[in-house]
Amino acid sequence: MNVTYNWLKEFVDFDLSPDQLADLLTMLGLEVEAMEKLGEGLDDVVVARVEEKRQHPNADKLSLCRVNNGKEILDVVCGAQNFKEGDTVVLAQIGATLPGDFKIKKSKIRGEESSGMLCSEKELGLADESAGIMVLPGNTHTLGTPVFTALGLKDTLFEIGLTPNRADCLSVVGIAREIAAKLGLQVRYPQPVVAENSDTVQSRINVVVEDPDLCPRYAARYISGCTIAPSPDWLVKKLAAIGIRSINNVVDITNFVMMELGQPLHAFDCDRLAEKRIVVRRAGEGELFTTLDSQQRILTSADLVICDAARPVALAGIMGGQNSEIEDSTVSILLESACFKPAAVRKTSKRLGLHTESSHRFERGIDIGGVVRALDRAAALIIELAGGVSARGVLDACSAVSEPPAIRFRPEKANSLIGIDLPREEIIQILKRLECQVTEIQDGSLDVAPPSYRVDIEREIDLVEEIARLNGFDKIPATLPIARIASDRPSRHQQLEKIVRNILVDHGMNEIINFSFTDPGAAGKLMLAADDPRHAAIKLCNPLVDEQSVMRTSLLPGLLETVARNINFRSLDLKLFEMRRVYLPVDGENMPHEPLYIVGALCGSRDGDVWNRPNELIDFYDAKGVVESLLGILAVGGVTWLSEGVDAYYHPGKSCRVMVGREQIGSVGELHPTVQENFGIEKPVFCFELDFEKLVKLSRSKRTITAPSRFPDSTRDIALLAADDLQSEAVLACVRSVKAKEIEHIQIFDVYKGKGIPEGYKSIAIRIRYRSYERTLNDEEISALHKKVTDSLINKLDVSLR
Amino acid sequence: MREQLEQLKNEALLSVNAAGQIEQLQEIRVRLLGRKGELTALMKGLGALSAEERPVVGQLVNSVRDEIESALESASAMARERAKTERLQSERIDVTLPGRCTSTGTKHPVSLVIEEVCDIFAGLGFSVAEGPEIEHDWYNFEALNFPPEHPARDMQDTFFVENNLLLRTHTSPVQIRTMLKQKPPLRIIAPGTVYRCDSDATHSPMFHQIEGLMVDTGITFGDLKGILTVFTNQLFGQKTGVRLRPSFFPFTEPSAEVDIACVICGGQGCRVCKNSGWLEILGAGMVDPEVYRHVNYDAENISGFAFGMGIERIAMLKYGISDMRLLFENDVRFLRQF
Repeated sequence: MNVTYNWLKEFVDFDLSPDQLADLLTMLGLEVEAMEKLGEGLDDVVVARVEEKRQHPNADKLSLCRVNNGKEILDVVCGAQNFKEGDTVVLAQIGATLPGDFKIKKSKIRGEESSGMLCSEKELGLADESAGIMVLPGNTHTLGTPVFTALGLKDTLFEIGLTPNRADCLSVVGIAREIAAKLGLQVRYPQPVVAENSDTVQSRINVVVEDPDLCPRYAARYISGCTIAPSPDWLVKKLAAIGIRSINNVVDITNFVMMELGQPLHAFDCDRLAEKRIVVRRAGEGELFTTLDSQQRILTSADLVICDAARPVALAGIMGGQNSEIEDSTVSILLESACFKPAAVRKTSKRLGLHTESSHRFERGIDIGGVVRALDRAAALIIELAGGVSARGVLDACSAVSEPPAIRFRPEKANSLIGIDLPREEIIQILKRLECQVTEIQDGSLDVAPPSYRVDIEREIDLVEEIARLNGFDKIPATLPIARIASDRPSRHQQLEKIVRNILVDHGMNEIINFSFTDPGAAGKLMLAADDPRHAAIKLCNPLVDEQSVMRTSLLPGLLETVARNINFRSLDLKLFEMRRVYLPVDGENMPHEPLYIVGALCGSRDGDVWNRPNELIDFYDAKGVVESLLGILAVGGVTWLSEGVDAYYHPGKSCRVMVGREQIGSVGELHPTVQENFGIEKPVFCFELDFEKLVKLSRSKRTITAPSRFPDSTRDIALLAADDLQSEAVLACVRSVKAKEIEHIQIFDVYKGKGIPEGYKSIAIRIRYRSYERTLNDEEISALHKKVTDSLINKLDVSLR
Repeated sequence: MREQLEQLKNEALLSVNAAGQIEQLQEIRVRLLGRKGELTALMKGLGALSAEERPVVGQLVNSVRDEIESALESASAMARERAKTERLQSERIDVTLPGRCTSTGTKHPVSLVIEEVCDIFAGLGFSVAEGPEIEHDWYNFEALNFPPEHPARDMQDTFFVENNLLLRTHTSPVQIRTMLKQKPPLRIIAPGTVYRCDSDATHSPMFHQIEGLMVDTGITFGDLKGILTVFTNQLFGQKTGVRLRPSFFPFTEPSAEVDIACVICGGQGCRVCKNSGWLEILGAGMVDPEVYRHVNYDAENISGFAFGMGIERIAMLKYGISDMRLLFENDVRFLRQF
């Protein structure tokens, strides 16, 4: 809602500067989002007179002027043609800065000196287009006066961001009312007097409301003998100041009164209404209607239309029709001021995508008690500006406006909820300043009837808010509540989420956050099997763009896109992770499942190209190491790494499923080269995926800690020659199967292929540390144990000692 | 023999004094005092002496031995000291070269702010609650007093999904879910991802909010002001000014927008605060009785407040980020700075 300082002053006498007013409005909940001071900084643009005008010697289209600013005569070069000697014009003097940061300097134009510039309205920001410079009519202005002062244009425009509940403030008077209520002042409401002839309105026009549920009030006047003409300057300027374009006098008046009082109005050319009759009814299913904007609309039975005896002539509360609009030839007018049901207007406006100043107000609720006042205000102005006369009286259909019941209000309830201690009398004063009718009840409470324009006040709590608001939020003391101690602590899920994030960060990984919606083709890029449930993504009904039209079923596509984007920016060494939800439809259930997943991607060099370490590339074991560390800290036991049955987006030879028992909890591996290409990545990427919900279930919160042995250890190494495809896990399992409690630690310390090892074989070196809890083991005991281990390896596995 | 001993001693002391290095001293020790050393050889000659002379010369041998040993000892100590000094003087590294350590990663700024805000409220006795992102209209709107066809719904452009569900437009449905499960007293904080069908330089279709809710007996609007003052002071610094001004949310009444004194200019007016000196960071208010009705709370006997804030907005203010899109581009050159 746009409103100007000067316009507000017409209705209430406040003694505040524009800045103070902006602050007052904001603190009343009418947030001033922007302020524009018209004419600010333009004091060097003054009224001046052209004393002499002659042709520029070097340019056909320029003239040389001698201009009088009241103090001196200046030479000014001008390119406009629309003025003559003796005209009063607008001079931007040296040093002035025009809108658009255009500084006026002394200059030479085609060899002639120019000490200033004669301005057009456009250059002063007063019009969008101008044909020539501004020529002020008459010669009543004192030369040298700043032009904005001389023309009374010095003003401040406020852009107020209104919350949807404040329908009553969608007008200048509405905002003036708020100022008055806060400052304890009176509002000067317009008191229109309509010139009427002796014909009754009923004898000229006829109104039937067939669907009063959607139209609780419909008032109309008949005005004849009008002359449609351009609006006078004051009206054009007033509308322009708040951003409304002038059409003609009658249409401008309906807009002006809407802005002034908040009541949308519509003027019909009465001679174009069949039988001069108005019928308010629901539209027929599929009924066609062409609105003022030349669009043909297909209507439904939920839409309310204003019809004449034959056809629709307006979309109720939204927009008029071409078939009955005011034209230059119009002489008689049916002026409508009505109240339509907010939800119905909203539904139609939304369905048709047709949002107007009128529908905006009806959707929020207009003052049903002010319908006739606005009608009279507009009628009086039309008669004043366009001539003519109104028929006697107002047609006021459905005028049985029922008074809303008074609200029972307890002043002490307001005090206790707000946390203040306002005396009862002050509370009553505030309510009265808001134009509420207050009746005191015996039990100490009040019966409060809000004014009809406050459609948002229906309950006691609404009045509590008004007391807090008018008294001032700044006057409420800040206190801390007294509360009972609660014994809540973060859930295991929340604790582990934080722990996982910390571990991954400790491993040098950077957390990313991608949008939850993704490309419907994402699953295809991952080469998922045709029956993979991750194809079944939840679709958005109204996506912004196709690439963000389904809810992701996997975090991988987003992660890989991030990898590709970073590589494009030459960030080649990446360790990224994302821990977020995926969205999986559940058979037979309305709500999807939203489990938290963890994904990571590593690529490039392990530690960067640093001086004190060999530059090594990240490989599978880096990714696996992160997962192992995570599982270790979360104390997930019984983990195995299964290289069969891995998702197709992994390299089949360099990936595995992470299993606990028969349940897969995740996967690790090098990305399949095709998938890599699908995402535009040129170098190998190593990824992992973990189902966080399963981790939470498997994570052991209890740990068993054993005291370390106090006896010395002894280590023995074994080097085995084994077939290339023998998994090291089998070797370790075989050693463990010996089940000697003296085996303290088993470690693979070298895997070697190449010189000295036959093709298809590898050497695996393991180190076993023996130690007893009871005593120092002697050489014979250790040798015996070690032999058991060696025998087990040789007997159970296809390996030989090296 | 006495002369021999005297001579041995003098020669020994001379060579000990002449020796500069640990190795030379070691050599001297072996040569004189070793199993086949000169003094050892002399001692073997003691047997040939008379019974009277034996103890006297024996004593002399011992004293010569002690003297040599102590001379060796002190010379060695000096030599070790000298060697240490030499080592300390000669060994020099470039301490400005980077150390050997895997650099740690970073949390996303959104996660950092969520953690910090939750920590502050944990200190005030609030526990964390969560809820689904794909929601029913009832939890997201209706129970929060947004009736169907109400213009307040325009405040939140909604993404709809199949099965009459939607992507929650705020974290407020967590209030409803929590109140349906628990009875007062209640103090929760609910961080989460939310969605609005809107995308430009200052709006992202996905962003994050933190919702707070406290319901108990005798809770006032002043308490809301107090809690939010404590919170903003902890988050932005002890003396951050806080301003509440009237606003409207369907699920609170009275409702307020909460501004803090601009953290960029300190309230003087700058581009970030659009010269107002204030930054809007929170929406808040007393829980509307209509909401209590939907969750079967008795509005006559309890009261409470709710508030919600945008995480990205706070992250941008805290870290001086001017473009929200940076938060979701996931450029590591950006992420590594946190």
